[in-house]
Amino acid sequence: MAAGALLDRDAGKAVAARSPSYGGTVVARFAKNRLALLGARAVLGLLLLATFAPVLALNQPFYWDAGQGPRLPWLGALFNRLLFENSVDLFFNLLLVLAPPAGLFLVWFRRRRPTLSLARAWLGVLGVAGALFVCSSQESVGGLKNPLYFTERVVNYRAEAERLAALGTEPVAWFPLVPFSYRETDPQRSLQSPSSSHWLGTDTEGRDVFARMLFGTRISLTIGLVAVSIYVTIGTILGALAGYFGGWVDNLVSRLVEIMITFPSFFLILTLAALIQDRSIFHVMLIIGLTSWTGVARLVRAEFLRQKSLDYVQAAIALGLSRRRVIFRHILPNAIAPALVAATFGIASAILTESSLSFLGVGDMSVASWGETLSAGRVQQKAWLVLAPGAAIFFVVTVFNLVGEGVRDALDPKLRR
Amino acid sequence: MRAYLLRRLLIMIPTFFGISLIVFLVLNLAPGRPGAQADGDVASSARGEQTQDSYRLFREQFDLDKPVLLNTRPWLATAEVRHDVEVAAETAPASIVERIAVQDRLADLGTYAVPHLMAILDAAEAEGDARLRDTVVFFLWQSAPRRLVNPFDPTPSPALRAHNDEVARERARLARLRYPFDAPEADKRAVIAAWREWYDGAKGRFEYRPSDKIRILLTDTRFARYWSNLLRLDLGVSLTTREPVLSTLLSKLRYSISLSLVSLLLAYLIAIPLGVLSAVHKDTPLDRVTSVALFMLHSLPSFFVATVLLITLSEASAWQVLRLFPTGGFQSSDFAELTVIGKARDLLWHLALPITCLTYGSLAALSRYMRTGVLEVLGADYIRTARAKGLPERVVIGKHALRNSLLPIITLLANLLPAVVGGSVVIEYIFGIPGIGQWTIDSIHRRDYNVIMGVQLITTLLVLAGMLLADVGYALADPRIRYR
Repeated sequence: MAAGALLDRDAGKAVAARSPSYGGTVVARFAKNRLALLGARAVLGLLLLATFAPVLALNQPFYWDAGQGPRLPWLGALFNRLLFENSVDLFFNLLLVLAPPAGLFLVWFRRRRPTLSLARAWLGVLGVAGALFVCSSQESVGGLKNPLYFTERVVNYRAEAERLAALGTEPVAWFPLVPFSYRETDPQRSLQSPSSSHWLGTDTEGRDVFARMLFGTRISLTIGLVAVSIYVTIGTILGALAGYFGGWVDNLVSRLVEIMITFPSFFLILTLAALIQDRSIFHVMLIIGLTSWTGVARLVRAEFLRQKSLDYVQAAIALGLSRRRVIFRHILPNAIAPALVAATFGIASAILTESSLSFLGVGDMSVASWGETLSAGRVQQKAWLVLAPGAAIFFVVTVFNLVGEGVRDALDPKLRR
Repeated sequence: MRAYLLRRLLIMIPTFFGISLIVFLVLNLAPGRPGAQADGDVASSARGEQTQDSYRLFREQFDLDKPVLLNTRPWLATAEVRHDVEVAAETAPASIVERIAVQDRLADLGTYAVPHLMAILDAAEAEGDARLRDTVVFFLWQSAPRRLVNPFDPTPSPALRAHNDEVARERARLARLRYPFDAPEADKRAVIAAWREWYDGAKGRFEYRPSDKIRILLTDTRFARYWSNLLRLDLGVSLTTREPVLSTLLSKLRYSISLSLVSLLLAYLIAIPLGVLSAVHKDTPLDRVTSVALFMLHSLPSFFVATVLLITLSEASAWQVLRLFPTGGFQSSDFAELTVIGKARDLLWHLALPITCLTYGSLAALSRYMRTGVLEVLGADYIRTARAKGLPERVVIGKHALRNSLLPIITLLANLLPAVVGGSVVIEYIFGIPGIGQWTIDSIHRRDYNVIMGVQLITTLLVLAGMLLADVGYALADPRIRYR
């Protein structure tokens, strides 16, 4: 008997292995779409670029030896709050430091447990980085000094190297590819056109545009991902409740959606953003997230209305499962697909919204935002200050739109034309 | 149809109300002082009595001393007022920031504070706390005068005039009832006695019946005031320029509306044939090229395109030959003297670039939907029938397919409108068109609440009208649709 059950289970496993899961089918369909795959790779590339931005552009050398012993200024600079004060930067720097050990650990762990999915592992790394990030935002916890929170005078190693070279004792210095920080201002080098030292020129305050573009990737990606996560969460919950319960809940949510849709939402976002004093990039994310959930809510609500009457839901209810379980574990996975498509396109439009906000001067001025550089280019009428950020925004938006189309086609082949 | 339209119009009322409520709450609960940059930055300048007085008057004038949504002041407890007065009298410990906040709070309370201030006055005298007593008298002097009702009404009714005359007399009398802190004790006593006497006569005003309390709770608020003005089509005056919002808005609206409407119209006019073409020639190079081009247009941020066009094709261009368009503005300064053709050419010359920028974004979305719509229709049975009975392809596409595939993009109008209105903010800003977009940005920076509120409400109305229009258009294009 026991052997029979075992056999049956194995047979089931074999069948499961042969017939791919829903997720597997979607992934396979997505992978067949060449353009979408290209887009997905580009997104991955952008993520890597964002993470490894300080490797490419920072004004601190990896290795420095001026005769007083070797030093590693670059590594310390990553968490120096005088160089990187923005939390988005700190998060990505954490990710950068964590990436190599996490990669090694994963390789080792997968050898022991080959079933571990890469996506889950990646989520784990993100979780650890997030936890560390939360910890690192405090200067000290209960008297314990936070080793990731420190401020140290920023040494201008480039000037130092030149000074020493003039004295005839050239130091050993390995600088990143672009030896400038994106926040390093220099009034004497303002508005230089592209050259071999400043690949994309400098802006009004003499900051290196290439470095700003590079670090702007971090901001744009974070904006897109965080704002969209916020509104997908809000929209899904509201839409699910409205669709499942109907009645006055549905009425309330529908009215709310109607109101929010009628808003020229850019006006609202602009007003909200401008009214917040000392706004940070997180305020911008929150505002975009809080004002853009209507589309998702409508899609999820419609799906819930459709799925609610299907047999499997009735079966789940008849089994006596709790309402929460029926809504979130049974219906939601079947109803989320259209919302996911909307979310992928939403990343692109959130990035666009943020850059328009900083273009209008109501963004976070302390971060390297593409819109801000473009705005300076408009005022100064300098082509490189317009083209570089414009191309960057265009590229990122295109890439996410491509992925969005791929996701849509993969999730719902009927829509494909 | 008429019944349906009527119902839609009725539904719009709560939607409009909800929107006004949200905008109102956002504006009024946001930190920061309204009109902060007006009058040489009243808020941050040294808070001498003079500036404090003028700031108080400013707040009164714009109802900013009222609570935002619910007025709970009739339920105020004397202990709360006493705490504030003690802080202001510097007999209770508090930070400077708190002290300033307390001054504002007491000034905002207005006449609601009077009975509590009288009670505190009695208590202070009983306790022999001279400093508290003197402070209370100051706040009485500040709070007790009533406000004139509709002082700017050009044709007041006799009753209103009599009431206002009485209020004015009382204000004049009360304005004298104060003393400097170093005045002789006898003078102080005389003033306090005068206050007591006045209060005995006016006591009835401060005894609220439950129905009064409810009325005050709901109506003596900023929101209720705003709405009662709104019903009289009064959007208030700008906090900075003191010009009526509505008339300025209407004069600026024509720029924005013409920009948005022309660009929407253009988008539809181009998108429909484009969509039909690429659907009919599906999977040919023509289709591929338009699809890719539109996809790329869709991803190009309009403010980037606008800037690029401005620095290449306008008079600011580096290349002499390309200086084809002006750098901004809506019309030339000599517009009034031009002939009709000259005017049209002048407008076109000014608006070509902004309209291009506003159009291409919606164009991409529209023609994609159009293409999908046509493709869907082309697979339908009645198209096969039309072809089977030998109709020329031109008629099949132009008559049978077109009308039905128009449906989805008509409903899209409702979604496009808010986007176009929002997008025109940036475009107006870049091209220096003096429409409502630019005005909004300026007003937001100045915290000119009445203007922001007015602009939001008007644009909301426009969007609502557009949605209604989309519904009507839908019904016209599709005779099958019967509105209940």
